[in-house]
Amino acid sequence: MAVKKTVLLVDDSRVARMMTRKMIETDRPGWQVVEAATGEEALEVYSRVLPDFVIMDVNMPGMGGLEATKRLMGVYPQAVVTLLTANIQDPVRDQAEEMGVGFMSKPVRGDVLMAFLGVDEE
Amino acid sequence: MTDFLNEVQRDAVTEIINIAIGQAASALSQLVDDEVRLSVPLVHFLTPGQAAARLDEETGGGESVAVRQTFHGRFNGDIMLIFPERRSLHLVRQMLGDDLPVDQLTELEQEALMEVGNIILNACLGSLANQLGMGVESSLPCYIRGRGGRILDNGERSGTDESEMVMFLHVDFAVRAKDVHGYLAFVMDITSAHHFVDAVHAYVMAQIGE
Repeated sequence: MAVKKTVLLVDDSRVARMMTRKMIETDRPGWQVVEAATGEEALEVYSRVLPDFVIMDVNMPGMGGLEATKRLMGVYPQAVVTLLTANIQDPVRDQAEEMGVGFMSKPVRGDVLMAFLGVDEE
Repeated sequence: MTDFLNEVQRDAVTEIINIAIGQAASALSQLVDDEVRLSVPLVHFLTPGQAAARLDEETGGGESVAVRQTFHGRFNGDIMLIFPERRSLHLVRQMLGDDLPVDQLTELEQEALMEVGNIILNACLGSLANQLGMGVESSLPCYIRGRGGRILDNGERSGTDESEMVMFLHVDFAVRAKDVHGYLAFVMDITSAHHFVDAVHAYVMAQIGE
């Protein structure tokens, strides 16, 4: 039986979180989804829950997703993180690569999201 | 007011915007799971008052809802996604599914439109930035409801003086089967418009090896 995992969704848009959560709950039934609406909250939730995956928006009020990811990876280098952003500019992709995290553009396709959520199941 | 651009410049701007809007349409198409039809981009140089009147004409004179982001880089301006008011709920339903009750749908309408705007406007801006090889910073999206003047008013442009002319670039899009249509518009002041046109022209000339 597949192991149930925990995913941390970080996005300031409630609707964006709802859409991503629905995809995860449909394709990964039983998985736990926790949410954060800011970069600051993401760091707090991560340290409390220690999720298996983090899906991080970039453009958010306060600490943005790039800074939050940098801090998160600084403390938890084993964290499995992807950016999920509407900001498709090449420098954002480059920064994701430099930090060793994934990059997915919005709106995310189900197969792309599930490929990320399956990265440690091979 | 067409002599701000010569034929080659207008062609270059239209082509590069076509590609950027294509990225935006692709994002919208994924959200509504249907084909998005686009008009040819139109570029006009107008006073803010004329631009507002143009927008009112195109939206039937009624109130619209819009998501606006301000962008900064080598050129500055506003990019907006505009829907005639009664159409926006269709789009939200497409995104969140038919199983949501109407009261929850209405409650989420504003947030949903901001997220649609965030995705579509950034797809367009990001494509422009990537094509031109320059970074563009954009604000978080803001939601506006009203007629043309209110939607276009960013607090910096209000005059009817020709010295405050803006480049008004817009594209109509429609998802016919889903009863969704709207407009995507760029507004730049003349100085930024000149920088933008120069950058686009240089890019296109470099691509075709001239």
